[in-house]
Amino acid sequence: MTVWATMRIALKALYANKLRTVLTMLGIIIGVASVITMVSIGQGVSKSVEANISSLGTNILTITPATIKSGGVHQSGFMVQTLTVDDSYAISTECPMVAYASPMVRRSMQIVYGNQNWNTSVYGVSYNYNLIRNWNVAQGEFFTEQDVKGSSKVCVVGSSVVENLFVNDNPIGQVIRVQKVPFRIVGVLETKGEGMGGDQDDCIMVPYTTALSRISRMKYIQSIVCSAISEDMTNAAINEISSLLRQRHRILDGEEDDFTIRSQMDLAEAMAETTGMLTLFLSAIAFISLLVGGIGIMNIMLVSVTERIREIGIRMALGARGGDVLKQFLFESMTLSLFGGVIGILSGVVLSLLLARFADLNTFISVEAIVISFLFSAGVGVFFGFYPAWQASKLDPIEALRHE
Amino acid sequence: MRSSEIYKVIEVNKLNKIYDSGEVKVHALRGVSLFIEKGDLVAIMGPSGSGKSTFMNILGCLDKSTSGEYFLDGKNVSNMTKDELADIRNDLIGFVFQGFNLLSRTSALENVQLPLLYSRARAYHSKERDELAKKALDSVGLSGRYNHQPNQLSGGQQQRVAIARALIKNPAMILADEPTGNLDSRTSVEIMNIFQTMNRRNGITVVLVTHSDEIARFADRVIVLRDGKVKEDIRNDNPENAEEMLKQMPLPEDDL
Ligand SMILES: Nc1ncnc2c1ncn2[C@@H]1O[C@H](COP(=O)(O)OP(=O)(O)OP(=O)(O)O)[C@@H](O)[C@H]1O
Ligand SMILES: [Mg+2]
Repeated sequence: MTVWATMRIALKALYANKLRTVLTMLGIIIGVASVITMVSIGQGVSKSVEANISSLGTNILTITPATIKSGGVHQSGFMVQTLTVDDSYAISTECPMVAYASPMVRRSMQIVYGNQNWNTSVYGVSYNYNLIRNWNVAQGEFFTEQDVKGSSKVCVVGSSVVENLFVNDNPIGQVIRVQKVPFRIVGVLETKGEGMGGDQDDCIMVPYTTALSRISRMKYIQSIVCSAISEDMTNAAINEISSLLRQRHRILDGEEDDFTIRSQMDLAEAMAETTGMLTLFLSAIAFISLLVGGIGIMNIMLVSVTERIREIGIRMALGARGGDVLKQFLFESMTLSLFGGVIGILSGVVLSLLLARFADLNTFISVEAIVISFLFSAGVGVFFGFYPAWQASKLDPIEALRHE
Repeated sequence: MRSSEIYKVIEVNKLNKIYDSGEVKVHALRGVSLFIEKGDLVAIMGPSGSGKSTFMNILGCLDKSTSGEYFLDGKNVSNMTKDELADIRNDLIGFVFQGFNLLSRTSALENVQLPLLYSRARAYHSKERDELAKKALDSVGLSGRYNHQPNQLSGGQQQRVAIARALIKNPAMILADEPTGNLDSRTSVEIMNIFQTMNRRNGITVVLVTHSDEIARFADRVIVLRDGKVKEDIRNDNPENAEEMLKQMPLPEDDL
């Protein structure tokens, strides 16, 4: 029996039961579409995380106090003051692999301009913080070494703050208040866009000296941020900082560090792991729905075989071999799953594009996901269609003909 | 031993068939031995339950005997595999059933082509299949009904489609189990006319089961079964001619 003839019989049988065919296909369509959509969401998220991390700069190191035990109680790293301004100064002068270092204190606070107010992140940093972050000033200038030494009440603001507080006014030279302390704006930062933890441009930066002395809720530095001289030297810089701080903090050999040094790379790896898990989780759910679709095919094919026992008997009486009957039913289930697969791929792609456009989600349609789900749906057709088809092929012609 | 001048299309020796459905065993055939000559039109008769259908199913390679030998066209069929039997059914046998056994929702043309789809000796492409199917339908007088589906045809017409299907591959023999069982007397004679014509003109061996003496009169030989055994085996040298009889019968319009 020719392939073409087998295919025609299968298509005819499917066409004869249009509603059932469509409903069965729907299971596969939904399965494949959700695999494509879920994988593209997962990959979209991981791509945007990757992009964000590299926009932060991969040579940046953050030093925070370690979580230490005092009297058997764990204390959060931010509650203890093991890092000092002197540590930061020592790192910048004594570590050759470190380009710049800045103490940092950060808090979310309300700022006031005229009769308007705005909640934003207030950073107390050194004059070189924009160099560490590789962050240019769009308007005006970053505050200077003199401003830091003299605890000047000046600040640099992010573009989101400007958008929200200074609709028409030129922000340079204006005065905003942080906890009643007036700060004169000397510069506006370039727009950096979304990053981890939200809008990177929603911030204001003041000299850390001013922050520590004038802003009552900023009492000690929380971390030291520094940049290695290049991305390749990041690990060398970590080693230098580590031994310097151990020496400065008088930590004996065998004792644990009282600080933690994290690079953006570590963060990137952690994030990649998380988003990888997310992709895996989403695809697992989607594959389960594909599996359910496959079971739907098996169910319908079993019904279809039982309904058509007489037809099978007639075909066998006229010379169809068991193998011909097997092929006929396998073709039917494969047609169901392949058509379903193709429609599912198209709807998955369309859905991903719609999500990207209207739900503000980053989606990335991967060729692998399309190929894999297509092959998988074909496999589903063969796998779940095989048992019913095999049952049909094993029928005895005379028994089948007697069947009512 | 075979004689030289006659050709035995069918030869069975001590054929037994026991249906074993757990508790009850039915001995449907008890040592049937006979042969059927090529070119004969044979009627098998006998009371209900005597084993006629059982015998036909074995002759048609649809079922296997419990013991005994069966030679079809000189080949020993008794120990063939399922696939070999399927090929035999396709190549050598044309079936006509009492219940027609046409595929529903399928046109006459497509029903008639079915045996060609499963042909292993050679493949037929769709144009060729259509042509052969039309020829077969023409030969049973159904020229105008190519695209009718079974539910759009009368019983007699459905049986003609079934006969066309049985004839399409030019089989060595036609096996028909009560082919006129559901038809009125005139239509029955029309069907017998087709069988007789095929038999006389093309030399196709025909074996049919019937309950009716009227039908049996058209046969060259009548075999009567009872309780799974051959009770009588009568040769009729002067069979009735269906074509002649039809001419004398009133046409359906005149029935009023
Ligand atoms: N599949 C089966 N399982 C069990 N017993 C069967 C089966 N088929 C037939 N029989 C039995 O075998 C015997 C012969 O049946 P068969 O159908 O050959 O009779 P028949 O001569 O064709 O009768 P009828 O004229 O009524 O068609 C009967 O007693 C019947 O009950
Ligand atoms: Mg019978």
